[in-house]
Amino acid sequence: MDARAEADADAGGTAVSAVLEVRDLHKAYAGVRAVDGVSFDVQAGSITGLIGPNGSGKSTTIDGISGFQPLDSGTVRLGGADITGMASHRIARAGLMRTFQTVRVYERLSLRENLMIAAQQFDAAGWIDELLRTKRYRGAIAAGEARARELTRMIGLMKYWEAPTGILSYGQKKLVALAAALMPKPRIVVLDEPVAGVNPTRIREVEEVLQTLNAAGETFLIVEHNVEFITTLCHHVIVLDQGRKLSEGSAEAIHADARVLEAYLGVAPELEEAEA
Amino acid sequence: MIVVAGAVLAGILPLVTESNYFIGIGVSACIFTVAAVALNLVYGFTGLLSFAQLGFWGIGGYATSLTVMTFGGNFWMGLVWAAVINAAVALAVGYPTLRTNRHAFVIVTLAFALLVTLIARDWVDLTRGPLGIPGLPAPSLFGFAFRTTASFYYIAWAFAVLAIGFLYALCSSRIGRTLIAIKQNEPLVRAQGISPMPYKLAAFAIGAAVTGMAGGIYAFHLKIIDPLFLDFYYMQAFLIMVIIGGAGSFWGVVAAGIVMSALPEVLRFSNELRMIIYGVILLVAMLAMPDGVAGWMRERKLMRMRAALR
Ligand SMILES: Nc1ncnc2c1ncn2[C@@H]1O[C@H](COP(=O)(O)OP(=O)(O)O)[C@@H](O)[C@H]1O
Ligand SMILES: [Mg+2]
Repeated sequence: MDARAEADADAGGTAVSAVLEVRDLHKAYAGVRAVDGVSFDVQAGSITGLIGPNGSGKSTTIDGISGFQPLDSGTVRLGGADITGMASHRIARAGLMRTFQTVRVYERLSLRENLMIAAQQFDAAGWIDELLRTKRYRGAIAAGEARARELTRMIGLMKYWEAPTGILSYGQKKLVALAAALMPKPRIVVLDEPVAGVNPTRIREVEEVLQTLNAAGETFLIVEHNVEFITTLCHHVIVLDQGRKLSEGSAEAIHADARVLEAYLGVAPELEEAEA
Repeated sequence: MIVVAGAVLAGILPLVTESNYFIGIGVSACIFTVAAVALNLVYGFTGLLSFAQLGFWGIGGYATSLTVMTFGGNFWMGLVWAAVINAAVALAVGYPTLRTNRHAFVIVTLAFALLVTLIARDWVDLTRGPLGIPGLPAPSLFGFAFRTTASFYYIAWAFAVLAIGFLYALCSSRIGRTLIAIKQNEPLVRAQGISPMPYKLAAFAIGAAVTGMAGGIYAFHLKIIDPLFLDFYYMQAFLIMVIIGGAGSFWGVVAAGIVMSALPEVLRFSNELRMIIYGVILLVAMLAMPDGVAGWMRERKLMRMRAALR
C-alpha cells in the first residue's frame, strides 16, 4: 500500500497534496436531503473510496463535484482552484474526468473512436487544424491513438478495437468508459460503481488495471457498493450514510469495521443494481 | 472513387440528353440532394430535428431573388446574402432554442418555418405577397448568361459538388464525429470536456447557410418566387431523403437524395396514382428498414461482426 497517501490521510486531510478538496456539500431534491454536509479530501496519487448503502448520496456527491448537478451549497477545489458551480465540460477540462453509474459509451462508434473523442478536447488541434488536416492535427491523432491502444490493451479489449461498442457486454462497456476517462491523463478520475454489473471473475482484472495506473501516478476516487473491492484497492475510505459522512479512515480500519458497518448500514457486496 | 465517378458522370448529363425535362430533373436532384445533406448534418448527425430548414430554404430563395430584383445586385451576390442572412438568423434562433430540450427545439423550428411563410405572404411591400416575384433573370458570369436549362444545370451541379464536398470534409472530420457523439450521449460528451453548444450552433448555422443557397439557386431555376416556395412539400422531401438514406449516413443520404428526386418523376403516369405508389414505396422502405438503407446495411455488418467476435 502507498505509504505516502496513508500518511497524508492520517494527517487529517488538510495536507497540501490534496488534489480534490470537498467542503460541506449540500444538495436536496424536493425536500430529500441527498447530500447533507459532506466534506473530504482526495490525496494526489491515492485511490480513495466512497462507500455507503444505496441512496446514501454517493452519486449525488460526485455529480455535484463534476458539475452534473447544481449544488445547494459547499465548495469544491481541484488542485487548489475553486471549481464550484463551473459547467461540467469546464471541470473536465480542468482535469477531473468521471464515469457514470449507468454506463455511458457511444454505442455506434468504434472502441477506437470512443477513446479518441475522450481525448480530443485536450490536444492542441483546433477546428481549422481539423478541416485542413494540418501537421498539428496529425500529431494529435497519432499521440491519441498510441494512448488509446495502450489503454485498450490494458483492459484486454484489443480485438474490439474497430468494433462499435454497442456490441460489447455491459461489463466490457464499463471498461471502455474507464479507459475513456483515462485518455487525457487527468488529475483525478472519479468512477461511479466501476464493477457493478461486471462479471465477478473480471473484477480482479479491473483491480489490476486500476493498481497499475495508480502506480503510474493516477489518482482515483471510486464510488462502490462492493466493500471487498473497495477495501482491497483503496488507501483511504469515506463512508456515507443518508447524505452524511459516517466515518473515514484507512482501508484497514474500515475493513476491520466492516462487519459493524454491514450490520449497521446493511452494506452488502451487491453486484447488480438497477438505478438511474 | 465511386463518388468521383458519380460526380463526373452527373457533370456530363447535358451532353447525353438534350431533353430539358430530364436536365430539369437533374437540376432538382442536385439542389434537393444538397438540402437533404444539410438537413442530415443537423438532424442525422447532431440529432436536432429542425423544421426550420424550410424557413431557411425560403429565406434563401427570397434573399437571392430580392438581391437581384429589388436591390440591384447580381445572382452570385444574392447567394452570398442568402448564406450570410441564414447563418445570422440561425445563430439568433439557435442560441436561445438549443438550450431548451429537443422537443421544444422541434416546436420552435416548426413555428419559425410558419413565420417565414407568413412573412412571405403578408409583407407585401417586400415580397409582393401571394403574387410573388416572377421573371427572375438568368444568372450570368463573365458575360456568359446561363439561359438554357442545360447551362443552368452546370450551376446546380457545381454547387452540389462544392457543397457536398465541403459538408463531407466537415462530417468526416473529428467535428462530424463529435456531432454524432453529441446525438448519442450528450452527458458523456460534457464529461469529456466538450461543450455541445458551439457544435450544435455551428451545425445549425452551416445547415441553414447551405440550405439557403440551395433555395436561391432553385428559385432561379423556377424563374419565379412566391409563397408556394415555402410549401411543406419541400420540407417533407428533404426529410424523407434523410430518413430513407439513413440519418447520420453521409453517402446514404446523398444516394437517397438523387434517387428520391427522380422517383416521383419516373412514376409520372397519373398524378394521384403516382403519389400513392410513392407513398407505398416509402412506407415499405421505412417498415423494412427503420434506420434507412444505410442503417440496414450497418445492422447486417454488425451481425456479421458479432458472429465473428464471439
Ligand atoms: N434526480 C433525482 N431526483 C430526486 N431525487 C434523487 C435524484 N437523484 C437521487 N435522488 C435521491 O437522492 C438520494 C441519494 O441518491 P444517490 O446519490 O443516487 O445515492 P447513491 O448513489 O449513494 O445510491 C436518494 O434518496 C435518491 O432517491
Ligand atoms: Mg449511485
